[in-house]
Parts: sequence; C-alpha cells; structure tokens
Amino acid sequence: MLLNLKNIYKWYNVGGNRTFILKDINFEVQEGEFISIMGPSGSGKSTLLNIIGMLDEPNEGTYNFLHENVFKLKEKQRAQLYKQYIGFVFQQYHLIDELTVYENIETPLIYQDVKTSERKALVADMLDRFNIVGKKDLFPNQLSGGQQQLVGIARALIAKPKLILADEPTGNLNSKQGEEIMQLFKQLNTEGVTIIQVTHSEKNAAYSSHIVNLLDGVIKR
Amino acid sequence: MIKNYFKIAWRNLLKQKGLSFINVFGLSIGLACFSLFLLYAVNEFSFDRFHQNRNNVFRVVRWNKAIGNRPEGGDSYMPIPLGPAMKNDLPGVVNFVRLREGWGESFVKVNNSTIPLDVMFVDPQFFDVFSFKILMGDKHTALKDLRSIVITEDIAKKLFGETNVVGRVVEIKGDKTFEPFTITAVAENPPANSTISFKILANWAFMESNTETGKRNSTRWTASGYQTYVQLQAGSGLPNDAATLAAFRKKYYPNEAEELKKRAMWSGSESPISYRLQSISDMHTNRTIEGGLMPPISPKNIWILLAIAAGVLIIACINFTTLAIGRSASRAKEIGIRKVIGSDKRQLVAQFLIEALVLSGISAVIGFILAQLLLPYFNTLSGRELVFSYQQYPEMAWMMAGLVVLVGLLAGTYPALILSNFKPLEVLKSKVRVAGANLFTKSLVTVQFILSIGLIISTVVILQQIHFMQNQNPGFNKENIVMVNAESIDAKRIFPLFKQQMLAQPSVKAVAGTDIGLGAGSGWSVMDFEYEGKSKSVYEYSIDADYIPLMSMEMKAGRNFDAKIASDTITSVIVNEALVKDFGWTIENAVGRALKGYDEKFSPIVIGVVKDFNFRPLRESLKPQLFHQFPGSAPFKYFVKIEAGNPSATLAAMQKTWTSLEPNLPFQYDFLDESLNQFYKAESRLGNIIGWAGSISIFLACLGLFGLAALSTVNRTKEIGIRKVLGASASHITTLLSKDFLKLVLIAIAIASPIAWWLMHKWLQDFAFRISVEWWVFVFVGFIALLIALFTVSFQAIKSALANPVKSLRME
Ligand SMILES: Nc1ncnc2c1ncn2[C@@H]1O[C@H](COP(=O)(O)OP(=O)(O)OP(=O)(O)O)[C@@H](O)[C@H]1O
Ligand SMILES: [Mg+2]
Repeated sequence: MLLNLKNIYKWYNVGGNRTFILKDINFEVQEGEFISIMGPSGSGKSTLLNIIGMLDEPNEGTYNFLHENVFKLKEKQRAQLYKQYIGFVFQQYHLIDELTVYENIETPLIYQDVKTSERKALVADMLDRFNIVGKKDLFPNQLSGGQQQLVGIARALIAKPKLILADEPTGNLNSKQGEEIMQLFKQLNTEGVTIIQVTHSEKNAAYSSHIVNLLDGVIKR
Repeated sequence: MIKNYFKIAWRNLLKQKGLSFINVFGLSIGLACFSLFLLYAVNEFSFDRFHQNRNNVFRVVRWNKAIGNRPEGGDSYMPIPLGPAMKNDLPGVVNFVRLREGWGESFVKVNNSTIPLDVMFVDPQFFDVFSFKILMGDKHTALKDLRSIVITEDIAKKLFGETNVVGRVVEIKGDKTFEPFTITAVAENPPANSTISFKILANWAFMESNTETGKRNSTRWTASGYQTYVQLQAGSGLPNDAATLAAFRKKYYPNEAEELKKRAMWSGSESPISYRLQSISDMHTNRTIEGGLMPPISPKNIWILLAIAAGVLIIACINFTTLAIGRSASRAKEIGIRKVIGSDKRQLVAQFLIEALVLSGISAVIGFILAQLLLPYFNTLSGRELVFSYQQYPEMAWMMAGLVVLVGLLAGTYPALILSNFKPLEVLKSKVRVAGANLFTKSLVTVQFILSIGLIISTVVILQQIHFMQNQNPGFNKENIVMVNAESIDAKRIFPLFKQQMLAQPSVKAVAGTDIGLGAGSGWSVMDFEYEGKSKSVYEYSIDADYIPLMSMEMKAGRNFDAKIASDTITSVIVNEALVKDFGWTIENAVGRALKGYDEKFSPIVIGVVKDFNFRPLRESLKPQLFHQFPGSAPFKYFVKIEAGNPSATLAAMQKTWTSLEPNLPFQYDFLDESLNQFYKAESRLGNIIGWAGSISIFLACLGLFGLAALSTVNRTKEIGIRKVLGASASHITTLLSKDFLKLVLIAIAIASPIAWWLMHKWLQDFAFRISVEWWVFVFVGFIALLIALFTVSFQAIKSALANPVKSLRME
C-alpha cells in the first residue's frame, strides 16, 4: 500500500456557516495504480489532490503515506517525504518564468542537494526522453502549451518520485496534445510510477486503471 | 547550489532593469556617502596612533583647577627648560622633544622669491621619538647641525619642483635678516591623522641660541609657549603618579599657591596647577586641553556625523526592502512553484538574501568609485586630506566588507522572510494579493521621509543662524576694511610712513593701527586682575585715535582718544558697555573711574564708553573689553578703510607702498568682513554636510517612492482598467493612486517637525546670539517635501491614468 486516507473532513466557515468540501473521505492507493478523480466543478477534487500532495491539510482525519502518519510528522520530515516521493503536474504548468527549460527541470534536484555532475546527467536523460533537447535553453514563454506541460512533467519526474499528482494536466491543451500526455502517463505507469490525476474528460479517464467519482465531497463508487 | 543562486540573482537583476537601477543607484549613493564618513571617522579616531612609541610618548600638559572666574582645564604651552628638567629629575623619562609650533609664518627665500611658510623648531631627537617617515637623508643625523632643516615632500616640490633636494640651501628670515639653512632630509608629508604637522623643521638649538625670544626664554620658567613631549620607559608608572609630578612642579614653582592667594584667586594650601602627562592617542579627542595647531574634536560630533551618514544609508536600504516587498506580487508565483517542487523555507531565504547581497556587492563597487570621485570635494568639506589607503587605515578593509554584508542583510532579510513564508497553494491559486505597500512598507517610507525632512529642516535653521551671524550688525562697519599684516616687520617704525603714503591715495579713507586684528585666526589678549576684591577678565586691544572712527563705532559716553592729549597714551582707556555692567557702574558715571588693580604701578582712567560690539564670534556673549594706547604695544595690524567698489587698484597701490617700505617681505592682507565670516567656518561646514545629507536622503526617499508608486500601479492595473471602463477620469485615477503616498509624507512632516525643532533648539543654545526657530520653516520644508513627493508619485499615476484600459484588462 502506498497511501491511505481515513475519515478525512475539510470544511470552511463562510458567514458563520460551516461548508463541507470533503466529507468522510476514505481512500486507499496501491503502488502502481493509475487513478482518475472525476466529478463536477466545485466537488472538491483539487482539494483532495492537494491533501494527498501534502500542500493542504484537512480539518479532521488521518493520512498514512508509506506507513508514516503524515499529519503527525514534523514539518521538516514531511518536507523530506514529499521531496523524495511526490511530483506535481499542474493545469497551468507553473514553470518558473525566469529559468530556462533546462534549469526548470534541474531545480528539484538542487533542492535535494544532488551533485552538479549527477544533475547534469539526470537532466540530460530527461531532455532526451521527452525529446526536448533542442529547447533546453529556451524560456517557458518561448514554448507552446503542450511543450510547457512536457517540461512540467519532466520536472515532476526528475527526482524519480513514486507518486505523480496531476490536476487537470491536459485542461489547457488541445486534444492531440492531451492524448500525447496521457500516452506518456500510461507509459510511466507501466514503469511503476503511481499516478493520480484529476480530469473532466472520460477519454483521459479511460487511460487509468481506476476511477474515483467525487460528488459534493463524497466518494461515489 | 550557491552558484545557482547567484545566477538567478543576476537574471532577476537584469529582468527588472528599472527596479534594479533604483536599488543599485540608491545603495551606491548611500554606500558612497557612508564610506566617506566612515573614512573620516576612522581617520579621526586613529589620530596619532601611527607612532611606534605611542604607548610611551606623552604630551606634558598643565592642569588648572578652577581659578578665579576661569573654568577648570588644561593647556599644553610649556616653558623651554621643562623638557630637560623632566629628563633630569624624573625617573622613567628617557627622552623629550620640544616643539615651537604655531608662532606665525616665517619667510623662506629660494632663488630670490620669498614665500611665507611655517617653520617649526624641534629638538633633533624628533625623529627618534615620533614615527614620521624620511624619504631622503638620514633621520639620525637630520637636524644635528645648528643650521640644518628638514622639509616635507610637498614643500620640496613647491620650492624646487622636485624632492631630491638634500644638501641644497634656502634662506629663512631670523629676527632681522635672512640666514642660510641646509636641507638635510626630506620627510613624507605628515599623515592626515597626525596632530603634529609640519612643513619645515629646524633645529631647536638654533632657536635657543640665535633668536631674541629663544635667548630670553631659554631659562625662564614663566615664558610658556612651547609644546613638550616626553618618552617614558616602557611600563613607567609616571603618568599616574600625581605625587611625583606635583613635587616636580613645586620644585620649579615653589610659591605658586601663596602668590595666587595674594591675588585672591586661590585659597587652598596646595597649588591648583599641576603637570599631567597626556597619552598622545588622547590628544585629538580631549577637548579639555588647549594648545597645538590641530584643534581637538569632540567624539560626539563624529558619532553624530556617522549617524547621519548611516541614516542616508538606511534610507537606501529601506528602498530595497520596500521595493522587494512591493514586487513580491510578481514573485509570488515563482515562490509557490519552488515550494511545490521541493524547496524548503531555508533555501528560499538563502536565495533572496543572496539576491540582496549580489545587489549590495554591485552597489559597493559603484559606490566606492563614486566615493573616490567625491573625495576631493569631501576633503574641502571636512577640512582633512583624506585618502582611501588600506595601509594607513587597515581597519577600513574589513569595515567595508562588513558593510556590504550588513547592508545586504539589512535590506534583504525582511523581504526574504516575508516571501519565503508564502503558502504555495494560496499563491498558486492567487489568493494572496500582496499589495504594493503593506503597513510595514508604509512605515518604512514614513521613516525615510521623517529622516529627510528632519535633516532639511535642520539645514534651513543652521543656514539661517549662519546668515544671522554673518549679517548681524557687529557694532561696527566691517565693509571695505583691509587688514594688513605687519607682524613680521618693524611695525611701529613703518606704520606712520605707510599711513602717510596710503592717505595720499584718493581711494583710501582712513588708516588705523591696532595690535590685534579681528576675525578668525586673529587671537586675543585677556588681562586678569583684581578689582575691589573680585577677579576680573578683560579683553584688551591696543589701538590709536583713528581706530574708532574708522570702524564707525559708536561712543555711548565720554570721548575718543585724542592724539593731542598726552595722557591718552599713558593712562586713558575706553571701555565697552559690558565692562561697565560687569564692574557695577552705569554709562553715566563710568567716565573718570579708575581701573584699580589693573597694574601695580598705575590705574587706568576711563575716558569713554564705546557701544558693545562683537569682537568675538556671536557664539560667545559680549565680554568686558577695553581699548588702550599704552606704550609697549605695536600696531601689528594696519586697518585701511577703502572706498566701496572694486578694490584691486587700491590693493595694488598698497602693495607698492609696502614693497617700497619693506622690500624683503611679501605684502599680506585680509578683508575684515571675510575674516569675520571665517568665525563661522565650523557652522558652515556643519550646515553644508547636513544640507548634503538632507538633499541626498530626500532624493533617495523619492527614488524609492517612485519605484513603489510604479509597483503599486502595476499591481492595480486591472482595478484601474475596470474603473476607467466604468468612467473614472484621469484626475480621479491620479488622485486615487497618489493619495496614499502623500498621506505618508504628511505623517512624516508631523513627526519630523517636533523632533527637528527640539534638536535645533538644543543646537542653538550654544550661541549667545541666536535666531528663534520660526514656524514657517516647518511649513515651508513640509510644503517642498510634499511637492517633490507629489511630483514623483503623480508621474506614475498620470502615466497609468492615461493608458488604454482595454490593453490592461486583456493582460490579466
Ligand atoms: N478558502 C475557501 N473558502 C471557502 N470555500 C472554498 C475555499 N477554497 C475552496 N473553497 C470551495 O471548495 C470547493 C471545492 O473546491 P475545489 O477547488 O476542490 O473544486 P474542484 O472539484 O477542483 O473544482 P474544479 O473542477 O472547478 O476545479 C469549491 O466549492 C470552493 O468554492
Ligand atoms: Mg480543481
């Protein structure tokens, strides 16, 4: 088992009323799964994904990741866990505008104190694999959306995470670009990377091994 | 990783060219300013520490307890026999050096041109005791011969155009005639941080054996006018051994206490006068001891100047901080992403601090170049000959390095902490909208304006006070009066000839003689005596009958001196109103009174009362003063009243007359009004410095405001666009954007005004004659500050108010 969520509640107090975003979520992910989270807008998909990605905290509930109780960990240990095992892919790509393609991909390794020579080798491999060697010195605004998302995925993968979290990774792409990304995810999944993606598209969901439907903060099987 | 940080820092710098420029430019100016003042402070605090023997060399000072109406204090004027006597009598004294400095200029003749120059007589062991460097010649044999001299490299260049001049002969005027002297060595110019400074050194023995005063004073213990330094054995306890020093004094002044008692100035059994040994590293900062050519400074003033410079630097640092925070909106996304891909807070803090350090490093380089360029100007401002020399001031190296780091940290820490604290999820969803100015940056901007407005108010007040002192009627007409310096000639013999020839000139209205001039550098003469059981101090001037009319002074009672009345040159005196008051008389009954106690042999009789006039700087209150024509004094200053207008023809005629009467010595003169203005040099200097600091700081503050206004406009682009689509006018938008900043300036004015008022009020207390601080100064400065700020801010606001709204909305 890679991770499990137990009795997760998330709410906001709006105007004195408590609005529940997530209600008693129980959820388990095995290593090597490819999960799609689906559901209408505002149903809490992103919130759930962010909790899994340790960017957000629920108001109640427990979260185990690789048998560690995440919310009991100290900030530092959690950051360590996160750095080592999780990679994020965003709908808006979120590349750093000031850095080149090469540097964007390299940055996570810097934060993990990987040696320069090793970094070079790893980034070169990644550029090669995604076929963007020729673009390595360009800045994000010089790339197309699809290319930017490729860089985003490359960056998420560079530190060899066990888990990729992707929030509507194809939301800003045309269908052909979207399909390429999905192919890539499928490929990665067969190589053993666990993937959880949020998507609105049935077509994209079809790539996954498993679909979770979220409706008003509750998982519907 | 560090390399990576630097790379990103550099790129950010280039990307935000405008902001980087503001930051670098501002910090450079701040650093340039501060490094100049730091150099100045380091120089002042390193005074006289370059002497190898600094721990064992002491200046002998005479310490007086409060006697009569004189306050407690010391001076370093010693009699000639003191040095040898100390070496002889006191264990631990291994060497002594006497200096005759500040005795006025001598005349030096080289190749038939005569130049007035200071010649300082010193004992030949001068170079053993002090660490002045010799460039040519041998320091052990220099000054050995009676007629040997040592000159500095500057003087060598001035006299001969080169420094290789050992063995050459120059002529120096002794008492009467020019005599030849041989240059035995050329010394390096004394450094800027030396209390002892010299141009030409001559052998003490010559002074003692070949000059009238030297011969007369060589064994007298009552003729004090020479500096004496002693070198002690290492570890000698003599400086703290008051008993031994008192016994030494008593040996040479056995009846001192009794004599003072007789004059009703002292009642104790022990003499109130004692010798002390002053460490040479204490000389420059101890203001209780008078004497020497280099006036000591008050360390407090140095700290004040340094604090002002630090204020300017802080203003520049604040720019960095506020702009970094203002810019944080555009960096928030970057920070969010970095956190999501694994950066922890520490690494982000490091990144932002390195950005700040890179910036302060670049600014330091530019600032240092700027400081080098400004140094000559700064030197005229500070009255020092400073150089950026790490050899002379080794501490400057680490201070400058430390400064760069400190400035980087100071400027970068707060933004680094703020930025690194952003929650990634929130910034990526752009929930946090970091405004251009939060409360903290607003307070910082206010602080900047408080500092600059305070400085400018102070400048205005100081300038007003200087203007007041220079233009206040001193009680005489100071215009168009030339003071001719006749100190080195036979003044008494030449005066009537000079007067006669000058009066023949139509442009000369009057000529008078006096023993002491007026204005800075003129000196004074004070007579202490006992009058009806009370001790009195009276300033004296020896004048002639023409002096009072020439100066347009007003007689309050009695009459002026009359050349026809014989007794006027023997017993008559004219006193000022302050003396009348001090002696308990009235203007009406003063004439005819006798100044009993003035002299053992006779009592001067008052023949007139002159209206008070400011013979001393307006800093000082009016003191009792008298004019006399007693025999024995000579007219060392010739006052010549000339016609208004261009004086050059008259001066040329005067020069010609002078040369015909005294062909060997150059004609030297000063204008009275200029000499009087020189009284206020220190104040002018202060006004200048604070004025510059004020201008620079308001400039920097506006620079920051400009940047901040630009950022806040950028941050509000969408809002402005929407408002305009809804029909807001350009003036409405301008007001909207400017209002917030102007409020800060108003708050700053409100805070700065009382502080500046209080400081200036305190400063003015030092002046007996002073202006009062007027309310309009605050209104005036505040208005100007507001105007400058308005101009700065509205520039941005108008720009965005006039921009096309559709464009700005589409950008979002
Ligand atoms: N700070 C907040 N205060 C109140 N409500 C919030 C806050 N943040 C999010 N929400 C609410 O939480 C709910 C879930 O949001 P979430 O972003 O998880 O939805 P989502 O399923 O990802 O929707 P979408 O498909 O449109 O991306 C929404 O209804 C949103 O209004
Ligand atoms: Mg969502």
